[in-house]
Amino acid sequence: MKIEGTEKINATRERVFDLLTDPAILQKCIPGCEQMEKIGDNQYSAKLSAGVGPVKGVFTATVSMQDLRRPDHYKLVVEGKGQPGFVKGSGELNFVDDGGLTQVQYSGDVNVGGLLASVGQRMIQGAANMMSGKFFANLENEAKSTDS
Amino acid sequence: MAEKVVGKGIKRTEDPRLIQGLAHYVDDIKLPDTLHAVFVRSIYAHARIKKVDVAAAQKTPGVVAVYTGKDISQKIGPVPCGAAIPDMKQPDHRVMATDKVYWVGHPIAVVFAENKYVARDAADKIEVDYEELPVVLDEEKAADPKSPVIHEKIGSNIAYKLTAGEGDIEAALKAADKIVRQKIYHKRLAPIAMEGRGVLARYYPGEQELTLWTSTQIPHLARTQISLMLGFPENKLRLIAPEVGGGFGSKLNVYAEEAIMAYASMQLGRPVKWIEGRRENMQGTIHGRGQVGYIEIGCKKDGTITGFRYNVFADMGSYFQLLTPAIPTLTGLMLSGCYKIPAIQMNVTACFTNKMSTDAYRGAGRPEATYVIERAMDLVAAELGMDVVEVRRKNFPEPFGAENPFKVATGLFYDSGNYQGALDKALKMADYTNLRVEQKKARAAGRLIGVGVSTYVEICAMGPSPALPAGGWESATVRIEPTCKVTILTGASPHGQGQETSFSQIAADELGVTVNDCTVIHGDTAVVQYGIGTFGSRATAVGGTAVYLALQKLKAKATGMAAHMLGVDAKTVTFDDGKFTSGGKSVTIQEVALNAHLAKNLPADMEPGLSATTFFEPKNFTFPFGTHICVVEIDPETGEIQIQRYIAVDDCGKVINPLLVHGQIHGGIVQSLGQALFEEVVYDEQGQLISGSLMDYAVPKAAQVPWMELDRTETPSPVNPMGVKGVGEAGSIGATPAIVAAVVDALAHLGVRHLDMPIKPEHVWNILKKNKAGAA
Repeated sequence: MKIEGTEKINATRERVFDLLTDPAILQKCIPGCEQMEKIGDNQYSAKLSAGVGPVKGVFTATVSMQDLRRPDHYKLVVEGKGQPGFVKGSGELNFVDDGGLTQVQYSGDVNVGGLLASVGQRMIQGAANMMSGKFFANLENEAKSTDS
Repeated sequence: MAEKVVGKGIKRTEDPRLIQGLAHYVDDIKLPDTLHAVFVRSIYAHARIKKVDVAAAQKTPGVVAVYTGKDISQKIGPVPCGAAIPDMKQPDHRVMATDKVYWVGHPIAVVFAENKYVARDAADKIEVDYEELPVVLDEEKAADPKSPVIHEKIGSNIAYKLTAGEGDIEAALKAADKIVRQKIYHKRLAPIAMEGRGVLARYYPGEQELTLWTSTQIPHLARTQISLMLGFPENKLRLIAPEVGGGFGSKLNVYAEEAIMAYASMQLGRPVKWIEGRRENMQGTIHGRGQVGYIEIGCKKDGTITGFRYNVFADMGSYFQLLTPAIPTLTGLMLSGCYKIPAIQMNVTACFTNKMSTDAYRGAGRPEATYVIERAMDLVAAELGMDVVEVRRKNFPEPFGAENPFKVATGLFYDSGNYQGALDKALKMADYTNLRVEQKKARAAGRLIGVGVSTYVEICAMGPSPALPAGGWESATVRIEPTCKVTILTGASPHGQGQETSFSQIAADELGVTVNDCTVIHGDTAVVQYGIGTFGSRATAVGGTAVYLALQKLKAKATGMAAHMLGVDAKTVTFDDGKFTSGGKSVTIQEVALNAHLAKNLPADMEPGLSATTFFEPKNFTFPFGTHICVVEIDPETGEIQIQRYIAVDDCGKVINPLLVHGQIHGGIVQSLGQALFEEVVYDEQGQLISGSLMDYAVPKAAQVPWMELDRTETPSPVNPMGVKGVGEAGSIGATPAIVAAVVDALAHLGVRHLDMPIKPEHVWNILKKNKAGAA
């Protein structure tokens, strides 16, 4: 499944880049994220409860950030598994200056398996869009609150 | 005089219990102390199992046992495959995965608990560590030497290669004025029996008796195979197929879960039950079809077919189930359709893929054959600018029967047929000539109407024993009880077809009793003599014939007894309407039945009792046929396909109960409609089954099913004394090409000659859109 989109955040590229690579901020912004622990250089272990309709449960995931080029770009690799199945994906994030605002351009490929795939497939795209919407809304708030 | 009932559309005696919810399926059988089983199944299509951690599951209160593949897969024999093809590579199919998983749904572990909820919760606690491996999904690419290999021991994904057919195909194609070629897909389909699978096993250690209730089409064959898997004496294993809620071939099989439940009940000393869920059913019960092929058909300018070649890649799935490798061979047998074709060749490459096994699904290899030859005939018609009816007529044999069977270039002799008769009747019902006029008018007015014609023949009444892996005969015992009630024990195991009714009709007419006096018992190996089962449209033509022949034996004995009671020579006795008569004296069958059991007045050389058993071995298959005509209208705005009319004329030989025949035709056409327009088992590029529920797998709904105009012709089969042929698969064989042809015909003016199934509105819409853009 392809995930892509562009979001505008009212902050500088450096600021947005820092927010998006800060595990504490990520934990706050990712819907359902209960835990985000550093396990290595730019590597984190995350626990999040997520689901699609009736298919839900707790996922444990390793998140790694690669190819970090502040403030332009990084690559995010996620591998998670839980009772409803597994999620595996990677995506590129690019940060583009847009007259003082920052455009976050993201695109990635996600594979899902297990119950998530067999029952939830049709709804995953919708659920993913909803989650990313919430995520960026949270991030925007975060940018505002910590900006001052 | 009592009315004869054979040929009458009497209502099914099965139905009152079914429609009132009073029937007993496996899950309705409750035994005290039963443990409930839940399987953990692979979520990867291809992976190495690094670790299976069952500790947390085992500790769950209420859990009695947890088995992994490592625990039991060497204690139970392999899942059987009954088909053999020269040089076939057969993977060792163990009941559960040990080191590797091969498809999404492959069982890894099983939990037995006090109830199913505990078992389900505990199953969720089992942790499996996988190491993903590259997946093989496309049956054509699987054959490529560069493809990843599924079964390392076999070394390639090719299960077998086979060439079948007769005649010089190269010369035949060379002699053609034109050769038409087309690639054709037969997508995977899920059989979706209304009742999924289910098993209940009970072991009595004192008696050393194992009883297995399982939802199967083949109780005796399953008993034999499961006893071999367990190393358990067959005569101590009682297998019962209680009410079975449909099978469509998916229960013509022996599954790992059956042997595992039997094994567990012996180990745990308690009854164990497993009831398949629908998602499990989609993942772990066999699929049907799964072929991609290339057709080449040669023809003369006048439409005469010179030769037909089909090169096909057949998707086996990752393992063989009972008949997996045999299915494409059935395709090869029927490639001649109802046409005179001097040379036919099929080249099969059967491949393993990381998917559930394919196997018999209603029609089993023959719908593929009918579909490719019927599509090929339409392509020839389009190429030559001929009418689809004319090109068919051109290649029909003259009507034939016992004296002059029709020999085709696949090696078969068709028993009897009159293809012109069925075609003419269907054309008349459809008012075909006028349909074409109407179509032209409609097209001029911007409406998209298409007419599809399919003239099919199928191979049924499976079949002579030399042609089948486990015997092709069928058995029957008929007993007349002291009160003159008639008990029929059949080795066929009907599971929705209605033979409790039709076999009673046969007995009622033969013995002069009523249908209500008869009872048909099937499916219990401790009660019924060995039998083969119900599949391949065989129950009536083979099993019904066994009943008929047992009745003849019984009548002969009863006649002898009646003659003795009347004090006359048996040759002077006539039997009619339940009465034995000679020279004005008569005795009823009721009196004879009582006398046979009291045994006080028997001829010196006659045994007491009134019971006869027959094992009937057919000398040939039967070949039912017919013509289906479908009329569709396509919405030019949305691509939606509406079936305007559906006409079917089927010839299944003599008909015992037309209501049952109509029921079979209806059901078959609906399943064809599903295949043609909606259904498709979809695995994504990772091998995840994404059509894994009935939300996503599109079985036709009642509102999508058209009114069907049915009629029949009757060409008796010379293969059996009743002249019956079988009808269980006719609809699913004859209808698909008619529906597809109708949609193609509706778009023919846009240059469309073929569309692959399922033809979804979006495909049609895209064609229309592209055409509009081109025209603009």
